[in-house]
Amino acid sequence: MTSALDITKGINALKEQIDAPTAAFFSSCVHCGLCAEACLFYTETGDPRYTPIYKVEPLRRIWESEYTLFGKLKKILGLAKPVTDEMLAEWEPLIYDSCTLCGRCSMVCPVGNDISAMIRKVREGMVAADHAPEGLIGASTRAIKIGSPMGVRLKALKAQIGHIESDTGLTIPIDVEGADYLALLSSMEIINFPEYIESLAKIFKQADVSWTLSSEAFEATNSGIQIGCSDIARELVQRVVDGAEKLKVKYVISPECGHAYTAIRWDGPNLIGRAYSFKVVHILELLDELQQSGRLKTSGSLDKKLTFHDPCQLVRKGGVEAQPRRLLEQVASNFIEMNEHGNMNWCCGGGGGVSANERADELRIKVFNRKKTQLQEINVEVMVTACANCRLVLEEGLEENNMDIPVIGLSELISEHLVEDGEKNE
Amino acid sequence: MNKKTLFELLQQQGITRRGFLKYCTALTSLMALPPAMIPTVAKALESARRPSVIWLSFQECTGCTESLTRSHSPTVEGLIFDYISLDYHHTLQAASGAAAEHAREQAMKDNYGKYLVVVDGSIPLADPGYSTIAGISNLDMLNETVAGAAAVIAVGTCSAYGGLPHAAPNPTGAVSVSSLIKDKPVINVPGCPPIPTVITGVLAHYLTFGSIPELDELGRPKVFYGQSIHDRCYRRPFYDKGLFAETFDDEGAKKGWCLYRLGCKGPMTYNACATLKWNQQTSWPVESGHGCLGCSEPNFWDAGSFYQALSIPDGDYARAAGYAAAAGVAVGAAAGFVHQKTKSTAVAQHSEISVDDFSLNKD
Repeated sequence: MTSALDITKGINALKEQIDAPTAAFFSSCVHCGLCAEACLFYTETGDPRYTPIYKVEPLRRIWESEYTLFGKLKKILGLAKPVTDEMLAEWEPLIYDSCTLCGRCSMVCPVGNDISAMIRKVREGMVAADHAPEGLIGASTRAIKIGSPMGVRLKALKAQIGHIESDTGLTIPIDVEGADYLALLSSMEIINFPEYIESLAKIFKQADVSWTLSSEAFEATNSGIQIGCSDIARELVQRVVDGAEKLKVKYVISPECGHAYTAIRWDGPNLIGRAYSFKVVHILELLDELQQSGRLKTSGSLDKKLTFHDPCQLVRKGGVEAQPRRLLEQVASNFIEMNEHGNMNWCCGGGGGVSANERADELRIKVFNRKKTQLQEINVEVMVTACANCRLVLEEGLEENNMDIPVIGLSELISEHLVEDGEKNE
Repeated sequence: MNKKTLFELLQQQGITRRGFLKYCTALTSLMALPPAMIPTVAKALESARRPSVIWLSFQECTGCTESLTRSHSPTVEGLIFDYISLDYHHTLQAASGAAAEHAREQAMKDNYGKYLVVVDGSIPLADPGYSTIAGISNLDMLNETVAGAAAVIAVGTCSAYGGLPHAAPNPTGAVSVSSLIKDKPVINVPGCPPIPTVITGVLAHYLTFGSIPELDELGRPKVFYGQSIHDRCYRRPFYDKGLFAETFDDEGAKKGWCLYRLGCKGPMTYNACATLKWNQQTSWPVESGHGCLGCSEPNFWDAGSFYQALSIPDGDYARAAGYAAAAGVAVGAAAGFVHQKTKSTAVAQHSEISVDDFSLNKD
């Protein structure tokens, strides 16, 4: 029998989340409001409630009343504004619908407050108080019970693999013990962009990489991170760790998915409380390494005017900024940066669980205006990115705005320009 | 007082009205007065009668008088000084002996209640015999002369704060003018010596407004002593960048870096050297490569070596800071302990959440 989630648990979870950095952040905030201008939900709506630091008000109230002298006095005197169930209900859309955890606010904060990390903490309280959005509860439930937030089962993956193998004549290895690399996939790649799997197979064949998929741990996405529940996130990370350690791989490859990378690369060891026996690399990091060492050879290039959309989790949290540009240099002759790019790139608007939360759809389409403006400034024909979720959100936003710009994954673009067997190296 | 006005006297000396107004403008800005005051200054100076000035020199080196007389003729400042009625100044006057003293007594009698007394040098209290003039002790002469004065200007650090004679162990029991004179306004114009323009500026202010300028807590006119040497120093940008000369002949010294580490007392010295400069605005100590000695500050002789850098905390400071830090750590640790407990209680009360807990999944 499970216990019900309620406000008491929510407040307890928020108390649990306060740590030294959080306390320092709240006491350092100078209320300058710079974070507002860094957030596309604010810039595209002008609604001051979307000021990032305001979104974490529940956590701030808990910090003030539980961890500061004046706050305790205010609480005793009845002057403190309490965190109530109604308050959390009011804040739920601010925390889930209007924040993609993109971290752009953390970049501009002049006192160095990591606001997006604090939003992630508030989500823990929201979950414990039963104020998570339906879409994310559904995704988390499917992830735990079925093994994938989109409900993709192993059978579906095997079917896709069968198609690719028969189309290309390539072999997609599964459960190969002792392989160097275990490749993870996001369910979006399995369902929407199977060309990613095909690209991996082609590239790894040419570069002679020993790799495998795992029938027990193929899903890279982690709904626990998005909904903001460490208990759920831990279980999902543990599945990957178990799968990787069972096959005794040296590396785990995070696919073209932003938050999956953050989950397995940064949050994972903290969640399970120990270091991995393997290393985690993002596919772009691996491709860059292969290319630098001469194992990955390409010829020709896409001559259309194109730009690269940096996935937030990849560039801001992971620092993967130079790699995609070095790779693009090889396969794109007409690459142009958006005015704000790299670690100051604007989010697609659908990360951090927002795209899985149907309630936020309207707002998400609205704030896509930021990306639309960015694209209109440079007028490109093609977009390249390295996150299946970004890709889907971008495609949807472009379609909504009648912009005919195809979006492709960088790995796919690389695989299209591989030096074919028998073709001479240039 | 002399019948002719200051302006008439200046005209006799070939100073044009234009030149005079320029001087008034410069003086007005020097005294940090609003530009609207320029006509007032000009008018006041034009119509000012020469006030009688009695200059008393006690335990001093005559450097202050030297400074004044070095205010190179024919600067307007010099002329102004010439055309006050300097009725008694035993270094400069031609008369000597009884005649000299008679001049002082006459001036006091004629201008009773209106004359200015300028004092350079400190007054010995240990034994009056350390310094006498015409057999009169410095203390007696000061009290006698100041009795009918409108105000006293203590020129130089000796008269303002005791200066060199006052330095430890102060064998003569030297004291400043302001420690003796309590019933008359005393304006301190410290410096060893003071800048000539500052001396004449104070006199001009008195002539213009008939009152003494606004003074700081050490009795100095704020217009000249309101800012520290350090704040107005042209080498300040080097200090801000942390670029210091370490010796007097290293690269830093050659490049004109900050002299702080060579003992410059600029940060604790309030004077106008950095803006007015010396010798017709030719240069000033820091510009010539030597740190400020802090000569316009009280007890500057006893403030340690001229070459010892400031702000090296002594043992007491360090200990006090240590105690304060330890107390802060203790309070912080106590608060941290309480907060740690709040958090660990919260962690202990955490019951693991599963997807089945969501009310949506219970329907």
